[in-house]
Amino acid sequence: MNKQLSTDPVDAVSGSGPEAETRLSPVSFDDSPYSRFLGIEQEAVDGKLVYRMTFRDQHIGNPLIRTFHGGIIASFAEVVAARHLQASGVLHDPSACTSMTFDYLRPAFAGSLSAEPEVVRAGRRFVVVEVNVFLEKSLVSRGRFIYRRPSTGNCSSPS
Amino acid sequence: MTASSPDFQALLAAKAFFGREHPLFSAFGIEVGEMSQEGAAMSMACVNDVQDSNGAVHRGALSTLVDTTCGLAIFARLGDMRPIATIDLRVDFIAAPQAGEGIYSKVTCFAVEGEVAYVRGEARGCDSDSLLASTSGSFAIGTLGPSFDPGSRRNDE
Repeated sequence: MNKQLSTDPVDAVSGSGPEAETRLSPVSFDDSPYSRFLGIEQEAVDGKLVYRMTFRDQHIGNPLIRTFHGGIIASFAEVVAARHLQASGVLHDPSACTSMTFDYLRPAFAGSLSAEPEVVRAGRRFVVVEVNVFLEKSLVSRGRFIYRRPSTGNCSSPS
Repeated sequence: MTASSPDFQALLAAKAFFGREHPLFSAFGIEVGEMSQEGAAMSMACVNDVQDSNGAVHRGALSTLVDTTCGLAIFARLGDMRPIATIDLRVDFIAAPQAGEGIYSKVTCFAVEGEVAYVRGEARGCDSDSLLASTSGSFAIGTLGPSFDPGSRRNDE
């Protein structure tokens, strides 16, 4: 689970940045009480991490048609985005998420959700990650998350 | 707002729906603050289940509170609890909450056009009152399923 993945294409983007000099330390994924509440599971399949969240009663948004709450789906996607950034070595500390934009495409009925994260752009100051969330094979939502890299201290402008 | 006013009845129905019987809102301890045509407010304590690794409210839980408050603001504007669904939602995380601090959100449904309701709002720390996040989004009205307001479905409870 803490294994560094080396096949991610974004390595080429971040390889010359400050992260490349950071010593290799065990990746400590977000295992906060909230991510445990969500019940996010991850496993490596063919060298790629697969993220899942199975419906619990406490995930419910609309009890009358038994759908996931939109905020719970967004939370799942954000935790996945952060873990993906850590696992791929793009960002060791993805605590500075500055923005989330989420499109809800279909109702997400009680079931098992999976998420597929993709780094859209890993720049020097900001990293943009897109996460597609599926119910079975059907795309139910898509989120975009922006993370700010920690200031390296060698820049005169704080922003 | 008197006990027989439409606002009061709507508030009662909303408090029932967003109250202890809803598994998620109950787990988070989400409480209805105010509800009027001008907007809605809800709050949440920093209970264990919503905490990030620093012991502060996790931004995902904050987004859940904001999304929920958007729904309440739309119910307030519509004057009933027709089923609604989020079309899209943006949340900007402006500052991290303090460890242990509860948060509240205030949202206004500023326009309804056809089957779409438009909302904007913010979240703040309960103690510090500092701005934590801002939000904007749109919701579809009259989506799948029955009304959330039992009173509008049948008369016996």
